[in-house]
Amino acid sequence: MMTRIFWNDYVVPFRPGETIAAALGRAGIINLGPAGGPARGRVFCGIGACQACVVAIEGGAPVEACLTLARDGLRIGSMPAVVVSDE
Amino acid sequence: MSDAPILVVGGGPAGTSAAATLAEAGLPVLLVEQRDQLGGAIHRQVARGATHAVHAPARHRRNWAELAQRVDAAGSRIELCTGTVFLGVDGDGRHLLDDRESGRVVARSVRAAVIAVGAVEKIHPFEGWDLPGVMTAGGAQVLLKETGVPPTGPILVAGTGPLLLAVSAQLAKAGNPPVAVLERGRPWVRFNSLLRMAWAGPQLGEAASYVATLLSHRVPYRTGADILSVREDDVGLEIRVRRNGTVHRLRARHMLVHDGIEPNRVGIPLSDPGGAVPVVLAGDGREVLGADAAILDGRRAAREILARLGMRLPEPGEARLTAARNVQAALSDLFRSALPEPTPETLICRCEARRLSDFRSLPDDASTREIRLMGRFGMGVCQGRFCGPTIAALRGEAVPSAIPPRWPLRPVSLAALADLKTDDLES
Ligand SMILES: Cc1cc2nc3c(=O)[nH]c(=O)nc-3n(C[C@H](O)[C@H](O)[C@H](O)COP(=O)(O)OP(=O)(O)OC[C@H]3O[C@@H](n4cnc5c(N)ncnc54)[C@H](O)[C@@H]3O)c2cc1C
Ligand code: FES
Repeated sequence: MMTRIFWNDYVVPFRPGETIAAALGRAGIINLGPAGGPARGRVFCGIGACQACVVAIEGGAPVEACLTLARDGLRIGSMPAVVVSDE
Repeated sequence: MSDAPILVVGGGPAGTSAAATLAEAGLPVLLVEQRDQLGGAIHRQVARGATHAVHAPARHRRNWAELAQRVDAAGSRIELCTGTVFLGVDGDGRHLLDDRESGRVVARSVRAAVIAVGAVEKIHPFEGWDLPGVMTAGGAQVLLKETGVPPTGPILVAGTGPLLLAVSAQLAKAGNPPVAVLERGRPWVRFNSLLRMAWAGPQLGEAASYVATLLSHRVPYRTGADILSVREDDVGLEIRVRRNGTVHRLRARHMLVHDGIEPNRVGIPLSDPGGAVPVVLAGDGREVLGADAAILDGRRAAREILARLGMRLPEPGEARLTAARNVQAALSDLFRSALPEPTPETLICRCEARRLSDFRSLPDDASTREIRLMGRFGMGVCQGRFCGPTIAALRGEAVPSAIPPRWPLRPVSLAALADLKTDDLES
């Protein structure tokens, strides 16, 4: 069985039973973007509390990478940038 | 109503112990855990399908084997819902559960609830703590337990407390010892607290074995070290550290930070053991007493509910909880240290990108409401779980959380909420 997910067009292999965060980490992907945003995504607390690892998922609601198991063929990507207002 | 289950939220040692105790007393239990497996922070299980061994003290492995066996023995009396996030209690008193697999939110009526959602790590912010590559030490530790694989490239561990030693030793055993462990406190000079720790037998033995591992891998452990800032460039992170008045620059690919833990109480229902639907908190989510005490505290919570329902009670364990409290007090005294002032550019609230300068521009006497509405602190998706303790430290007093507790505890998809199912209607 092929086990891989797609991170913004990168192919990321994973071991069955592993979270998205674990798969991205093994592939050396620590910057979850978006590029240029003031606070980029990254796996931080590892326990679902900080929401910094939330990734967009094709065809579904965004999920925490640290809680969600990788599934074969899953397409994920960075969340839109946080907008900072300069008042 | 009396055949409705007792809801237990959280499958760590506290929740698992509460669920087993309630089931052993003959009650139906609904055990809800957001991950795919029980275990919690300390007993985070190896990913299904992986085969590596997790380095953990034998005592912890025994404790977990015993709890898992009790859950098995309870059979169908415990209905186990993994991959399910507890969202809170809505205005009509319904307990909302987000079943991530089906994408459905379900409202369940329950007879009582034990909430055992554990702790969150505290992070004292410095410029650059929000960069990719910076992660909590406990978070890195649970990922290591899950995969058996440490992050690649040089790792720096910094902050304060005994967890720094544990994580660093586990990283070393897994093949990537940290380049250094930077402890803000000066535990060696606090002889009185060290003496008070002397009878905390198992924990001391554990700490000694971590120190031995670090020594054998020649990992430097430096005390009295303050992190000033972190910057990123093409090859990784540059970390500025102040020690004995001198500023040093270190390089790493990953930086693991940790400044202790505190109960995860944001948005959590208030304890209400006397209510129509009694609610009892348990484990490190109630009071940080550590892994061994979490098991006892889960049983204590179960006893509270059994007493309320007029049922026979198992043995109490209060004396050992008091002993755990003394150990925690001695530990926090041992590692006590002054916090360095972050630079004005330091992000305080990552979710809403708010800096220390934004906080300082609020009136000194700003109310909690003003801090939230004008400053936008604590308003982001993490609901202030990380900036809350920082703001409390800056103000010198705690920021009261929203009362009544806000739900949902976590962002939930609108589609799932719109499709809400209530068990009363279903059956
Ligand atoms: C990241 C981290 C690492 C730690 N590592 C150690 C260690 O190595 N050694 C040590 O002695 N102590 C460690 N601790 C301290 C830890 O709090 C205790 O050791 C012990 O795990 C506490 O048990 P508990 O059952 O109270 O909470 P936990 O073990 O944290 O269990 C809470 C459970 O609730 C689940 N949960 C949380 N929110 C929800 C929700 N809304 N819906 C559904 N489920 C939910 C979590 O997934 C988790 O499984 C760590 C703490 C953290 C935060
Ligand atoms: S890393 Fe914090 S929620 Fe996933």
